[in-house]
Amino acid sequence: MSGPAATARLSPPRDTVPPGVVGRLFGYVGGRGFRLAFWSAVALRALSVVALTAVPAITGAAVNAMRSSDLPALRAWVAAAAASAVLYLMLAGISELVMTRLATSATMRLQRDMFATMQRLSLGFFDRQPVGQLLSRVTNDTESVATFNENAVSQIMRGVFQILLIVALMVVTNWRLALAALSVVPVLLLVAAGVTRAAGPAYAKLQEQLGDLSGFQEESISGHRVLISTRRQAWAQSQHDEAAGEVFRTASRATFTGLMQFPATMAMTTVQMVVVLVTGGLLAADGQADVGEVIAFVGLAGLLASPLSDLSNLATTTLAAVAAGRRVLEIVDDVPTVVDAPHAAPLRFEGGKVEFRGVDFSYVPGRRILHENSFTALPGQKIGICGPTGAGKSTIINILTRYYDVDAGEILVDDQPLTDVTIASLRSNVGMVLQEAFLFSDTIMNNLRYAREGATDEECIAAAREANAHRFIEALPDGFDTMLVERGANLSQGQRQMLTIARAMVARPRILILDEATSNVDTRTEKLIQEGLGRLMAGTTSFVIAHRLSTISDADSILVVDRGRIVQQGTHEDLLAQDGLYRQLWTSQFKGRPAGS
Amino acid sequence: MHAVRRILALYRPYRGRLVLSQVLLLLSAVCTLGTAALNARLVNDGLLAGDTGVIIDTGIWMAVLGVLAGLLLAGVAVLAVFFSQGTAYALRTQAYASIQGFSFSNFDSMRTGNLLVRLSSDVTNVANAVLFGVMLLMYAPFMLVVSLGLAMITSPGMVWILLVVAVGVLLAAGILVPPMERAYAERQRRLDEVNSALQENLTGVRVVKAFGRERFETDRFDDRTEALRRPAASAAFRVALLSPVMNTLTQLGIALTLLVGGERVVAGDGTTIGQVTAFTQYLSLVVVPLALAALIAPYLLRGITSAERVLEIIDAEPALPPGGSTEVEPRGGARIVFDHVHFGYGEGPQHDVLHGIDLVIEAGQSVGILGATGSGKTSLVNLVPRFYDTRAGRVSIDGVDVRDIPLHQLRGIVGTALQEAVLFQGDVRENVRFAAPDADDERIREAARASDAYGFVEALPQRWDAPVARRGYNFSGGQRQRLSMARALVPRPRVLILDDSTSALDVATETRVQAAIPLDAKGATVVYVAQRISAVIDLDRIVLLDEGRISDQGTHEELLARSALYRQIYESQLGPVGGGAR
Repeated sequence: MSGPAATARLSPPRDTVPPGVVGRLFGYVGGRGFRLAFWSAVALRALSVVALTAVPAITGAAVNAMRSSDLPALRAWVAAAAASAVLYLMLAGISELVMTRLATSATMRLQRDMFATMQRLSLGFFDRQPVGQLLSRVTNDTESVATFNENAVSQIMRGVFQILLIVALMVVTNWRLALAALSVVPVLLLVAAGVTRAAGPAYAKLQEQLGDLSGFQEESISGHRVLISTRRQAWAQSQHDEAAGEVFRTASRATFTGLMQFPATMAMTTVQMVVVLVTGGLLAADGQADVGEVIAFVGLAGLLASPLSDLSNLATTTLAAVAAGRRVLEIVDDVPTVVDAPHAAPLRFEGGKVEFRGVDFSYVPGRRILHENSFTALPGQKIGICGPTGAGKSTIINILTRYYDVDAGEILVDDQPLTDVTIASLRSNVGMVLQEAFLFSDTIMNNLRYAREGATDEECIAAAREANAHRFIEALPDGFDTMLVERGANLSQGQRQMLTIARAMVARPRILILDEATSNVDTRTEKLIQEGLGRLMAGTTSFVIAHRLSTISDADSILVVDRGRIVQQGTHEDLLAQDGLYRQLWTSQFKGRPAGS
Repeated sequence: MHAVRRILALYRPYRGRLVLSQVLLLLSAVCTLGTAALNARLVNDGLLAGDTGVIIDTGIWMAVLGVLAGLLLAGVAVLAVFFSQGTAYALRTQAYASIQGFSFSNFDSMRTGNLLVRLSSDVTNVANAVLFGVMLLMYAPFMLVVSLGLAMITSPGMVWILLVVAVGVLLAAGILVPPMERAYAERQRRLDEVNSALQENLTGVRVVKAFGRERFETDRFDDRTEALRRPAASAAFRVALLSPVMNTLTQLGIALTLLVGGERVVAGDGTTIGQVTAFTQYLSLVVVPLALAALIAPYLLRGITSAERVLEIIDAEPALPPGGSTEVEPRGGARIVFDHVHFGYGEGPQHDVLHGIDLVIEAGQSVGILGATGSGKTSLVNLVPRFYDTRAGRVSIDGVDVRDIPLHQLRGIVGTALQEAVLFQGDVRENVRFAAPDADDERIREAARASDAYGFVEALPQRWDAPVARRGYNFSGGQRQRLSMARALVPRPRVLILDDSTSALDVATETRVQAAIPLDAKGATVVYVAQRISAVIDLDRIVLLDEGRISDQGTHEELLARSALYRQIYESQLGPVGGGAR
């Protein structure tokens, strides 16, 4: 019978923002290392508000001086007002300088943290999230947090100070007038809150509709060939115009609601001034206030309106930033699933023997991709892997490089289990030439050098020569300094393939993985590529994933994979002799007819 | 300025509303200034004279005017929103309509990303500019002029203060705003750099990991964000500074007014304290709109540039002339003749990729077009449904030049499964009957059976209602190709072009599909484009293309016997002739 368990809630739990997110976002702006700068900026800002508020207060005194025709006093007060205006500008300027610097550097650090985590994370993470979605987190979400950092933090501080100070000053000077001046504030707040409340969902809906609209535009424009060939342009147009019409209606409503802030504030400010003047006038006639005070109050009340509406607007920015911040921090806090074991030692490389012992694997729990796979590749052997699409060929490679950890069984390289060696030492010994020839937007030289830190120009050029890439690189206007445009599109596919082979050569791998790469090139280029691959494979243990069986017919051993199991292994001749999947695959290439006879 | 005229032309039917919006705006400004004038009366005749009647009387009038000014402004807002969103709607729909009239070569010269930016952010820029333009463009000058006028009447001796402050505000804006814009542009440029570096990193994550370069990537990213930080901080600082500067200028103006006005009051030259306080109000009434005007000026300029970019799309002419009016038979196989066809993607013979193609494809034949990348296979077949027009020579169907056939009919009788098998968001059924929206489920199933899509669709939990993601990303390459072939089959075209549509299928499936398609297409002429020999080996005829010329044509056996190029391709793909399968 524990006490707390018996207490029932009188209200349902509210969906509140976890304090962690706000605290941590704030930590980037004013946390450790920035505390002094942050709080000095806050203090300066507070002082600047004092200086600003002094001006209308002084105005009142100046008016009184006018009434009593006290010229020296008038001059003194005016000088004081001018001085505090200038002081205000200086204090505010310095404070903003510090604050904006803190805010932008906070955004930068947040982006960096997120990026650094992403680099550490295992490949499984990237499978779960499409690139587009990740990009949007880094760009849109950090942008949203940045807006908060840059504007909201300083506006909140300034606004709160200004309001507190003005209210205090009013109450101290004349509490009756203060009451009159503040009587309009609840109305102002109500209006602002009403606008925020109405405009918020309208804008959210608008964002959604705009997203749909541009999604449709993107899809239909990038798929224009299909639209043209199927004569559906008119349909696309009517769909588009309908969506654009919805955007028109929602945007009109959202924008108008948002805009209502201004006329409402304008009207209320005038009403507030009138209330102060009338109340002040009546009090003054009664002798309970002096004219200078009334004039000062008009000025002070004017200073109150803008921070009030600022603050109510900020609620939206803040909520958006918190939501975005939560998504960003989710990435920052993600932990890689494939990590070095505590006792992991660098791989001691001997000859390059690779062994799979009863390996099970699944990308998603419950959906097993590989079942109890066992095989051994002896040092220097060429192992072919073939099988129908989706059989699990690429998966074998993904776990050999430890992009993923296996569910059961063991993989050994030179008799050392993969889980006992460091990932870095494993990957630096395993080279890959993947189906998709990915190159960075950088010079050719830098792309080659990417494979191994500290590779010299000479080594890279030698590798290019070995890979048969040398000739076409030299023919480019800038040779090895040629910039590759995004994803290497200014080279032909065959040329890109040769560059990735050269890159793999720079890495000097001892185990090599080739995902058959020569599907879309002409015969001459293919020959050059094959030559390059031959040189790359010399002396390494290599795995070749083949889609065309002729590329692996000379392999030392061929693994035939079907539905996640190795169903056959052996040499080309052995496998052809058996009545099995391999023979089926081989003959289907020729459609059952004796070739060329 | 041409763009401004074009946008204004859109408003011709709404001229009344546009005028009304500006009238309301000016009335609102008059009311606001009226409160300032009444303020002087309230202070002088009420407050200072201690006349409570005047105080209450004037106060009520001020409040009424203030609320009226707000209401009038709300009316302006309604109209401004109408014009701004209406402009956005008009530009979007017109630009999109123009894009739907584009042909392949229009798209070749404009990148998708570029078109999308013009349809989205450029349109938004114009809408914002219109909103600000309607609401504020006339406000600031009007406020300035009327305030000056009122000040001239009540206290002509102090008008110069108003002018000094106005000049100060404009100077400050002139100093602050342009660098702010530059810093923003710089920040945007750096941000794009950071984002594209990031995109590349994420797409190439396997390469990064394969070579263990995570550390290097992180350092590089840090450098890029560092480059972003400086302009971002500078832009943010200037934005943050704007409001303190404007505040200070107003307060300094007030101080100056108090000094000058106070001396006059004390000197007794007829200037009243009420006039002085009213004058301080004119000051803030002038400063705020001026500061706003300075702030919106860049938006207006940006809006004009953006409008030009959108209008460019609206004005773009479709590159393909419309077809003639000679209708051809709607059913049965079609005889296709290429007659001395030259074609290139640039102007003039030096850009040609097809050099004098002469080819006859008989009605109902199955023909394969084989050749290396860049040999002109896709270019050749694209001429049949007129995705492009020939530079010289002609392509005809049943003896009629394709340019003489109405475009709509031509594309109806020629069905194409394009090289890139793109699907649209929606469901499987919609996608398969995309080319013939009226097709019934029976026809959809038949076509899907022929293209070997039936099996995997039936295996989906929602079968024909299964959702298709954008561009069909939730289907594998092979599945997309099979659905795309079914899509081309459904309307029963007379000519079926399958452009490398089986490249992602394994050979056994490919064979099945190739056997089933002619049965479903019932006598249609079928043209296969392929890189793999296995995809064309069974066809009636194989046309071998080499660098834009027909190198040879014939059956598999004929070509193997006489064409060296064909044998070379064969050996590279299937191993030595006479070796292999025994």
